[in-house]
Amino acid sequence: MVTTPSDNKLPLRAADFATLAEALDYAAEGDTGCNFYTGKGELYAVLPYAELREQAQALARRFHSLGLERGSRVALIAETHPDFLRFFFACQYAGLAPVPLPISINLGSHKAYVRQLRDLLVSCQAAVAIAPSGFVPFLEEAAATMGLRFLGDPETFIGEFPEQAAALYPLQSQEVAYLQYTSGSTRFPRGVMITQQAVLNNLASIIQDGVKVRPGDRGMSWLPFYHDMGLVGCLLVPVAAQLSMDYLSTREFAMRPRQWLALLTQNRATISFSPPFGYELCARRLRPEEMAKFDLSAWRVAGVGAEMIRPETLARFAQVLAPSGFDSKAFLACYGMAECSLAVSFAPLNEGLGVDYVDGDYLAARRKAIPLDPSTAQAGRISSFVNCGAPLPGYEVAIRDEQGRTLPERHSGIIYVKSPSVMSGYFNDPGETRRVLSPDGWLNTGDIGYRIGSKLIVTGRQKDMIIINGRNIWPQDLEYLAEQQPEIRPGDALAFAAPGPDGADLTILVVQCRETDAGKRADLMARLQGLIREELGIDCFIELVSLHTLPRTSSGKLSRSKARQNFIDAHRWEAMVQRTRPAGELNLRVG
Amino acid sequence: MPSYDSVLKEIYEVLQPFAKEDQSLSEETELVTDLGLDSIQVMELLLQIEDRFDVSIPLNIMPDVRTIKDLVLQLIAIVTRPQ
Repeated sequence: MVTTPSDNKLPLRAADFATLAEALDYAAEGDTGCNFYTGKGELYAVLPYAELREQAQALARRFHSLGLERGSRVALIAETHPDFLRFFFACQYAGLAPVPLPISINLGSHKAYVRQLRDLLVSCQAAVAIAPSGFVPFLEEAAATMGLRFLGDPETFIGEFPEQAAALYPLQSQEVAYLQYTSGSTRFPRGVMITQQAVLNNLASIIQDGVKVRPGDRGMSWLPFYHDMGLVGCLLVPVAAQLSMDYLSTREFAMRPRQWLALLTQNRATISFSPPFGYELCARRLRPEEMAKFDLSAWRVAGVGAEMIRPETLARFAQVLAPSGFDSKAFLACYGMAECSLAVSFAPLNEGLGVDYVDGDYLAARRKAIPLDPSTAQAGRISSFVNCGAPLPGYEVAIRDEQGRTLPERHSGIIYVKSPSVMSGYFNDPGETRRVLSPDGWLNTGDIGYRIGSKLIVTGRQKDMIIINGRNIWPQDLEYLAEQQPEIRPGDALAFAAPGPDGADLTILVVQCRETDAGKRADLMARLQGLIREELGIDCFIELVSLHTLPRTSSGKLSRSKARQNFIDAHRWEAMVQRTRPAGELNLRVG
Repeated sequence: MPSYDSVLKEIYEVLQPFAKEDQSLSEETELVTDLGLDSIQVMELLLQIEDRFDVSIPLNIMPDVRTIKDLVLQLIAIVTRPQ
C-alpha cells in the first residue's frame, strides 16, 4: 500500500464549488486522497478521492433502492474509517442528509451510550442508520421500536440493496449538507442544519483566508468525524482543497499521543489541528530522549481551537518539541462552532499565539479588559487571553451586553455573529432556533468575549457550559442525574465549573439535600459520583447543602452564576484538593 | 487459549498501580466507579494491556467493560478470535 502524494497534478481550487458533491468530483480528477493508520502506525487503508467518488456514487445508486424521500436523514456512527467517508458522500450524491453519530469510549457506558444514540436517532428522525459491524448491536438496541428503513453495517447494506440505473441528483446548494450534533447537552440534543451553501462558504474562507492552503500542503488528523473540527476542518476542507490527509483514530491518539507526531514526521504533513488538550497530552507523555525521533519542521499550521486556549499549555508543547523542529510560530488560534459550519475567525498565520494581558479583577467586576504589563503587574491580577484574530470575510461580529446593546472595544459581552456560514437552524426545534438566531440572521453564540479593533478575544465559552479539558459538559446533564435520585427533587441541584488550584476548571455539583444521616449522605455522594463518571466520564466535586440555600435570580429562577460565585467565595482550594483528584479527561466531544 | 485465571492474574498486576493504597481488587471491582479511573487512565490501562497481550482492543467493547471480570472475558475473546 502506498500513501497518496502531497503534490497534485490538479491546479488547487479553494472550495469554489456549489456543493460538496462538486468538490469531490473535482478532487477525484487528481492524485490526492485519504490514508488511514492504526494506532501502531501501520497504514491499513488508502482512499484516493477518485476511488472515494466512485464508491460513494455506487452506494448512492444503492440508496436509490430504498426509495427514501429527498433530504431523509442517514445516521452514521462516525468511526475513523473509509466507510464513514464513503457513506457521507453517498448521501451527498443520493440527495440525503448524513448525520454523524458519536462513538463512546467510556468504560461501562453501555446504557448511557444506547440512550444517547436513541435520543439522537429520535431527534434527527433518521430513516437509515449505518454503523461498523461492532457497533450495530448498540444501534439495534437504541432503535428497537423505531422502524428504520435500514439498520446495519456497510456489508449488509451492500448485500441488501442493488444499484439502480437512475441518474444521481446530488444535494443542491440550498439543501442541508449534513446535521451536526457535536455541541450541546447529551440529554437534550440539538441538530445543527448546515446547507451546502453555508458550508462551502465557510470552507472557502478557511482555505483562502484562514489556513491559506497552498499546493503541496498535507493534513493530518486524529479528531473524530462527529466533531465539527474533525468533520468540517479535517475531512471537508481537504476534499474542497484537494489535499491528501492522514488519519489516526481518536482513541488510538489518546492511547499513543506520540503517534500523531510520528505520522507528522513520516509524511511531512503541513497542517494539523487539535484542541489545546491534544497538545497538552503530548507534552505530558513525551520523554526528552524521544525528541530526536521527530521532525516537525514541515508543520506550518498547528491549529488550536474548540476550547479556551491557555497559552501556558501550548508554550510547554512548543518548548518540549523545539528540538524536533517545531516552530511555535506555527500555532494558529481560531474560534468557531458547529452553528457557523466551523470557523468564525483565525489569528494571522506565522505569528504564533498573540496574548492579551488584562486586569482580571477589573474584567470580572466591570466587564472591561484593561491591558496590564505582565512584567510589572501583580501576578494574581493578570488574566491572559489568546487573541483569536479577525473574523473571516463575510462575517459581521458584535459584542453585546445582556440588554442587547452593542459594546465598544475592550468591553466584554456576548459574542454575536452574522455570516453566510451560519446554520439555517436546529433541526425540528424552532423554539431553540429562535432563541439563538434572530430573523435578521444574527447568531447568539452564547460565548463571552471582547474585541480589540477587529480582533476577537474569547474569555469564556457558552454561558453556563462546563468545559473540562476540552470536553463540553452541560450543567443540565449533571443536574438531571442528581434529580433522578430518590432523595433529590427537581430544582435541588445546580452544576457549574469553578477554577481549581492550578487554574483549570473543576466540575462542581451543589445539591440541596433533606437527608441528615451522615452514612446516607455519603452514600448519595458516592452514588452520584459513580453515575457521573459512568455517564459523562468526568470527576465531579459534589457538595450537599441545606434546603432553600441555592441562589435565585430576581425573577425567581435558580442561578448557576450566583451559585458559582457563592461556591468560590466559600471555599478554600487547599480544602478541596484533598477531596477531589484533578481529573484528566479526554477531549472527544468538543465543538 | 489462555485460561481465565492466568489472564485475571495478569490484569491484577496491570491494575495494581491504579488502585488506592488500601484497596483490594476482585473480579467484581468496577474500573470506573471503584478504581476511579478517569478517561486518561483508562487509555493508559488499554495501552498497557495491548502491549502486554499483543492485541488490538476493538473500540466497541469499551461500553461493555465495567468490572475486572468483564475486562478479562473480553480479553480472552479478543485473544482467541482469529485476527
